[in-house]
Amino acid sequence: MSFAAGFLRFPDLFPGRRGGEPWGDRSVVLDVAGGPYLFSGLSGVQDEAIRAKFAGLCREADAGPAITSRVFRAPATDFLDFDVRGWEYTLDMDHSPAGVLLAGLRLMARLDWTPELTGGLWTSEAAGEEWTSVFENYLRVLAAYRLLAAGGAVIHSAGLTDGVSAFLLLGPSGAGKTTSSRLCLERGATVLSDDLNAVLLPRESPHLPGPPLPEGEEGEKQRGGAISPPLPLGEEGSGEVRASEPGPLLIRLPFTGDLGERSGGPASYPLAAMLRLVKGTEDRLRPISPATALAGLVAAAPFVNRDPWRRDALLGTLERLARSVPAYELVFSLGGGLWDILQSIPR
Amino acid sequence: MSSVTLSTVLRRRSDVRYRLIEGEAVVLRQSASEVLVLNEVGASVLDLADGERSVGEWIEALRGELEVDAETLARDVLTFAGELEEAGMLEVVAP
Repeated sequence: MSFAAGFLRFPDLFPGRRGGEPWGDRSVVLDVAGGPYLFSGLSGVQDEAIRAKFAGLCREADAGPAITSRVFRAPATDFLDFDVRGWEYTLDMDHSPAGVLLAGLRLMARLDWTPELTGGLWTSEAAGEEWTSVFENYLRVLAAYRLLAAGGAVIHSAGLTDGVSAFLLLGPSGAGKTTSSRLCLERGATVLSDDLNAVLLPRESPHLPGPPLPEGEEGEKQRGGAISPPLPLGEEGSGEVRASEPGPLLIRLPFTGDLGERSGGPASYPLAAMLRLVKGTEDRLRPISPATALAGLVAAAPFVNRDPWRRDALLGTLERLARSVPAYELVFSLGGGLWDILQSIPR
Repeated sequence: MSSVTLSTVLRRRSDVRYRLIEGEAVVLRQSASEVLVLNEVGASVLDLADGERSVGEWIEALRGELEVDAETLARDVLTFAGELEEAGMLEVVAP
């Protein structure tokens, strides 16, 4: 199926440039990782809906630099009709050296590098949850590409913090990101998000030769075959900013699943460790190699990991992350000892 | 069953991107939408697959680098080259 044919009635009429009839003259700035992001062309209702959903992240537009996006009207007849009950869908994307086109439920969008990243969003949704859903779907992709350009990435993960440093829990859907987050929350952790988190690397990240070994633990054994099982690529989707701290930062994103704070202000913490989740009957930790960690990170980097024009940049960024932050396999049970294990990791 | 022999020349497929880290390789195959981790021998094989040298020449190049006897090395390299070709990461330039 050709690009956008699953969502648009006339895919050949996809907007060729960032233009059209705006919904209104309102604008808002969102302070989300990689931003700020300025959205203009909004109606009053759309503007207010964004400010309600992302309350702690919104402010008035000013003359400062921002990643700009404009929002335009599109007739409902441009889009195919669906019965969306119980449906989770994947955005259709078309990549090129100069930009990315997106098509989804009641949305068309394009990201262009001119050379700065700019965006355009066309939708028929005027208000309500339908509008904020369109907006959030677009913002997720925009933030993923912007963070990549800034030397970071959006990672499908659970992000936890003790208020000092943070832990990134990785695994495909069903691996236990929400379950493990809930267990840690009960023991006093703060859950940044159990769905998407941002990582941002400093220009020069310190190199650690390997993960420190918790007392009594053995390192990863040599594997037998040449090829480990493949990891499928992911589908998808301050209070206190310590930008002066060395090493990669984990930054809260307003994209949560069941746990996390959607409307809180920006917050970032030094990343103490990355953990590949495995469900088990006990709680234990074992170091994994940087290569294994990198494979997990690439598989968990939504949107950009499918972009053939930007995969080298993604691999480069995530390689730096895998080399600079200790990585472990974390086997966890429902017994509740998970958070204690995380806090025992040397920092 | 792979038909890779000592005289076979292979190269990485154009959609393959990889990084070598501490003796292992992380391989991203765009067309298959998956990520693989290769061990030291697998990583070396992938790195040598330039479409110019034969598998026999890879073995010669690796002889001084890996701490295995010649017979084991030749068997492992042939096996891994076949696995990588069957997995769609390498393609045959000359049989």
